[in-house]
Amino acid sequence: MSDLINGPNDEELRVGVYICHCGSNIGGVIDPKEVVEFAEGLPDVVRATDTLYACADSGQRLIKEDIKKYNLNRVVVSACSVRMHEPTFRAAVSEAGLNPFLMEMANIREQCTWAHGHDREGALEKAKDLTAAAVAKTRFMTELDMIEVPVTQKAMVIGGGVAGISASLDLAEQGIETILVEKEPTIGGVMAQLNKTFPTMDCSI
Amino acid sequence: MVDAARQPRVDVRAFTEVEKVEGFVGNFKVTLREKAKYVIADRCNGCGDCARACPIEVPNYFEMNIAPRKAAYVPMSQSVPLIYSIDLENCIHCYKCVEACGALEAIDFSQEDKIVEEDIGAIIVATGFGHFDPSVMVEYGYGRFPNVITSMEMERLNNSAGPTAGNLIRPSDNQNPQKLAFINCVGSRDKRYNPSCSNFCCMYSIKNAVLLKQMNPDVDITIYYMDIRTPSKGYEEFYDRAREMGIHFSQGRPSLITEDPQSHNLFVHAEDVGLGQNTIKEYDMVMLNQAAIPQPDQDHMSSVLNVAQSPGGWFMEYHPKLRPMDSPTDGIFFAGACQGPKDIPSSVAQGSAAAARASRILHSEQWEIEPTVAVVWPERCSATTRGQACGICAKACPYGAISITSPEFPAEVITAKCHGCGACVAECPEDAITQLHYTDAQVLAQMRALLADKPEEKILAFRCHWCSYGGADLAGTSHFEYTANERGLRVMCSARMDTDFIYEAYRLGAGAVLYSGCHPQDCHYITGQLIGAKRAERLQKMFHRMEMTDGRFRVEWISAAEGDKYARVLNEMQIVLDNMPQDALKAEIEKLKPEMSKRLKKFPNVPGVQEAMDYSDTLAQAITDQKETA
Repeated sequence: MSDLINGPNDEELRVGVYICHCGSNIGGVIDPKEVVEFAEGLPDVVRATDTLYACADSGQRLIKEDIKKYNLNRVVVSACSVRMHEPTFRAAVSEAGLNPFLMEMANIREQCTWAHGHDREGALEKAKDLTAAAVAKTRFMTELDMIEVPVTQKAMVIGGGVAGISASLDLAEQGIETILVEKEPTIGGVMAQLNKTFPTMDCSI
Repeated sequence: MVDAARQPRVDVRAFTEVEKVEGFVGNFKVTLREKAKYVIADRCNGCGDCARACPIEVPNYFEMNIAPRKAAYVPMSQSVPLIYSIDLENCIHCYKCVEACGALEAIDFSQEDKIVEEDIGAIIVATGFGHFDPSVMVEYGYGRFPNVITSMEMERLNNSAGPTAGNLIRPSDNQNPQKLAFINCVGSRDKRYNPSCSNFCCMYSIKNAVLLKQMNPDVDITIYYMDIRTPSKGYEEFYDRAREMGIHFSQGRPSLITEDPQSHNLFVHAEDVGLGQNTIKEYDMVMLNQAAIPQPDQDHMSSVLNVAQSPGGWFMEYHPKLRPMDSPTDGIFFAGACQGPKDIPSSVAQGSAAAARASRILHSEQWEIEPTVAVVWPERCSATTRGQACGICAKACPYGAISITSPEFPAEVITAKCHGCGACVAECPEDAITQLHYTDAQVLAQMRALLADKPEEKILAFRCHWCSYGGADLAGTSHFEYTANERGLRVMCSARMDTDFIYEAYRLGAGAVLYSGCHPQDCHYITGQLIGAKRAERLQKMFHRMEMTDGRFRVEWISAAEGDKYARVLNEMQIVLDNMPQDALKAEIEKLKPEMSKRLKKFPNVPGVQEAMDYSDTLAQAITDQKETA
């Protein structure tokens, strides 16, 4: 385990940096090409380019082909939030044979161009710094494997109203044992208290 | 309802509460409290003899407390499961129920609540909504005027299974009302109570009006509304039908209801926007369409389940558009109105959607989780260096994932139990633990890059992944603009925000530092935030003692729903910097640096840190060179 955590490793780093325009979401506020030029001068960066949509098939293909063509062992994608597309780019680099934990994202959309539309110069400086920080992190990143955990194939639904009943039946009909927990003495929730329901006026129970 | 009872793979546990949820995706341990019913479920045949024999009557929640039930009861005749309970709080122990039950011997007063533990792979939360109590709106007289009732009370009075067998009567004189008013948006779209729309009330009042009109075409009904919202399939047509039936619609929220004390008739005072004039109209009965609000115990459930709440109190989904059924915790999903007011078609759809999301996990033998766990360098642990493990890491861990079998053996992380918050890493006084993918070297390298150019102008913002990073995302998504001098850095939890990081930020000459994470009740790691908060408080005191200008180190708890707060906090921090004369700021930064260096004396000994520092010097040079060229 300690070889995983004692970085940096001795291998020669070859970082590829991809600056996404996200159409005009990023490209409308800053010029991604300026970030590309900036990234080209950072240590270990052997390839830097912009792409109209990094998450699109064409963008992903570019990254995957570059990994092979430039023999990249780290990838930085400056685009949107990790909450949005980290799984996308992890999968993409993984398909090209790179460990998914050797890809790092810089959030230059939600946390940059979308928040600093009034300050294009400031946004550009920030996009550069965020990209540089992602490049810096990649130097100390190591290959990691996802941890596989066993799954108890049993569900619990908390709340026996119409949503809970619907969920329980769908799970059970797929063969999954389901415990439906209801705090009141009967299931049914608010729905059971209603007299007919809109718009079809059928009864509720 | 009966389908659920009939389906052999659905185990209905009514009268049961969730006490505790532990574990993680695929491996939850849920503690349930099965409340004592004082009736043996297997023996009760639902005949109801006990209820008939019971002499006690108390209000029935199911009938909105407008009709009684017995102390031996089921809430309604179609209850599922059809098992009676004895309400011991109101029982007078006359034992007439025992007598009536006879040979079945289903009643057992010695029962106690049962605590059971269940192993569960995935959880769907469908806890629904509560009803706004309109008695706080004194202008409508609910609770004072007998003929002002809520829409849910109306549901029961108008229901063939309700206490009047569907005969709608006025509470004041038991007469059938001939002239009725419905008032929409009672407590909703009202900034005093709930600013949001309750989603289904427009359709709901139209439905009730149509039902009444169908039963008696002569009844006169007016619906007072602000806007009529009928966006789903078939809804607008339903609204048209109501108008064709002669139901009146009057735009404008009533300001006051007064009562004739003799007849108990009501006068609704409103501005009719269509007519452009104020109106006062007399009615036999008024129904208040009360707002849908979070369940009274929603806060409690939020902490039991460790899921965050949006402003307004509803459970907060992972992503409102892309992952609307997912909670931020892997393996926990939402369905129905617990996540926001929803009508029946949407709740049913969400139930199915949540089931589909959950079944991805439940149909798998194994599920993958992130390997961002803690790892110990045994040679650095105090057990190795001093022969005595200090145990601070084990105390910090919210999951009991660190095992110290004996003081002379170094701490060990039980990987399967580790959730990757990083609390132990930041707490370890020996720097003997790290977190994969969030090592000190990685964070340090990022910090150096972010502060390479004009650090004194920068606000370095540490954010936790789940909440404040989400808040920053939301600030952007909502286009709440804030200073572009912010430089954000993400770790999984505020518990990971090491004092060394903060010292290093000021050693590098940062203008300001934000230390942010979730609110205590929202923490993704049970008690991670508390650990982060305690540390932040110590740092705050220390910087105060060092006479740092207030606001240059700021601690804020910002949820993923608080984009506006994230933007505001950053802008306020920018103002602090703007208000400081340049010389004063520079002097303060320089004054702090030696003290920070002193405190960081041991930091380069952490594996990887010296390398990160060396590398960062080259990187910082490259960054400034590149910027100069540009």
